[in-house]
Amino acid sequence: MDNKNTMFQRFWLPAALFVVALILPFVISEFWVHVFNEILILGLFAAAFNLVFGYMGQLSFGQAAYYGIGAYTTGLLMVKLHWPLFACLPVSMITAGIGALILGYFCVKLRGIYFAILTMAFGQLVFFIIFQWYSFTGGDNGLQGINPPEWLFKAIPYYYFSLTVVTIGMIILYFITESPFGYTLRAIRDNTERTEFIGINVQRYMLINFVISGMFCGLAGALWGPFNRSVAPDLCSWQHSGHPVFMAVMGGPHHFLGPMIGSVIFTFLNAFVTGFTEYWPLVSGMVIIIVVLVMPGGVFGIIKEKGYFCPRDAGDVKNE
Amino acid sequence: MEFTFLFSQFMSGLTYGLMLFLVASGLSLIFGVMNILNFAHATLWLIGAYICFTFWSLMEAHQFALWVSIPLAALATAAFGWICEVVLIKRIYKRELHEQLLITYAMALIFGDLIKIVWGPTDRLIVRPSIIQKPLFLFGAPIDSYFIFVILIGVAVAVGLWWFLKYTKYGHIVKAAVYSREMVSALGIPIPKIYTWVFTLGIFIAGLAGGVQSAIGSVTLGMDMNIIIQAFCVVVIGGFGSLMGTLIGSLIVGEVFSFAILYWPDGAMVLIFVITAAILIVKPWGLFGTPLRA
Repeated sequence: MDNKNTMFQRFWLPAALFVVALILPFVISEFWVHVFNEILILGLFAAAFNLVFGYMGQLSFGQAAYYGIGAYTTGLLMVKLHWPLFACLPVSMITAGIGALILGYFCVKLRGIYFAILTMAFGQLVFFIIFQWYSFTGGDNGLQGINPPEWLFKAIPYYYFSLTVVTIGMIILYFITESPFGYTLRAIRDNTERTEFIGINVQRYMLINFVISGMFCGLAGALWGPFNRSVAPDLCSWQHSGHPVFMAVMGGPHHFLGPMIGSVIFTFLNAFVTGFTEYWPLVSGMVIIIVVLVMPGGVFGIIKEKGYFCPRDAGDVKNE
Repeated sequence: MEFTFLFSQFMSGLTYGLMLFLVASGLSLIFGVMNILNFAHATLWLIGAYICFTFWSLMEAHQFALWVSIPLAALATAAFGWICEVVLIKRIYKRELHEQLLITYAMALIFGDLIKIVWGPTDRLIVRPSIIQKPLFLFGAPIDSYFIFVILIGVAVAVGLWWFLKYTKYGHIVKAAVYSREMVSALGIPIPKIYTWVFTLGIFIAGLAGGVQSAIGSVTLGMDMNIIIQAFCVVVIGGFGSLMGTLIGSLIVGEVFSFAILYWPDGAMVLIFVITAAILIVKPWGLFGTPLRA
């Protein structure tokens, strides 16, 4: 089973990425530190989304709602009640989790495209509540002045803070996906009926997973507010819900690190393209089409196909 | 006073509902037959509105400009939709759900920017011909006279689609394809061809709706995003693939929106989502939908 060799196979890539992430701020300019900070936050968002998509096999097109709830929880607590950032993170996870619990309760009754549409409709519901509730959320003005504490104010300290939180989050997510719970999710994805027949309460598992995913989306959102110094209702819109979908598909939804890799590519591209054109949606749309048509399994799918090296495949029960 | 006020509100709800029907019926038709959820549908609708504006501005001097521009816009949009189908959608028939969604999502992003590039960010306003500039009085209530035209078009499309599905050969094929693609194809009917024309028909209706919309108010960027979400709500309420359901769903959403905005303006959109979610929970396939193949 787990001899040294497979341990190495399993962890060399994340370890290498972590080391690179540690060293990066010494080599690159402040602008790119910002970009990498964004990569980390959106990567956590996409990885949390992938819990529902890659592992449970349901496409959620409304995960930005929980991301937005997390961002607004932190924003409101910091701006209106002057809470310290550290206290806000767990509270954001809890509020996002509660949101996911209430809305997810209805979503997990459906499958496939109906699941996608209902998650999207609920996502828009959250968006419009935030958008219209001027007195509480600031409506389309958003919330400004979400300042992290003094010692995190500069780009590089905040980057290391994000890196710490995101790394911890990713490790927890990894343990969840490798637990019996995680394998039950894969079973649900691969054959829902059979999973039901062996006595597993599929809906309950799906709901629990949806809540966990929502909580980590909320955590990512909570990091976003102080990073950007502001939050806006756009964070919850369905366009924003499309980002983690694309990141997961681009990186490869059947590998644990796929969404993070997708985030690297997507965010990099964003930073690069917006440097010289305002037509980012046009470019990103074309990239999405090319990726879907040409490399359906994402980056990790291609790597696996070519057999260059074999990072452990987190997706397929059948292959293990 | 109270009655006339409510009546004119009802009429504007009816107009809005039928506009939603024009967008949603194509969406529902495409989904019902091809099983593809077209995120870009409303963006194509907006393209129709802009095209109509362009045709109109070419013929500005004439009174008939608008009436000629609307069908031209519908045809031009349909041609554009046909190209999209042949170039792009054809490649994703057999792909997985998330890939199809991502492709149409990407189309929405691309077309949104294309509109910005071609027509620029300024709002476009069509000056109506004199015949529909003055309001019409119905039961003492002032009604925008163009609304009558919108309602007529909506009803005409509804009846036309109903007739097409019920009495023509191709309508029967389309209806059969909703239930079993394999069976239809086993009967020797070329499914890809049917798909292409269903998609084109859907986009034609969207373009027509866009043309009609262009004279209701000014045409602005981002209009499509509101309407696509509401059109999703409509098809979910009514049931995918059901023409009747789409019509009822559109009227519900149109009227609810129109009256909610009077009494609770901030909550109008929220209310529509609440209704949608409630219906989806009680009847996952919508009011008139039948369980489709997974």
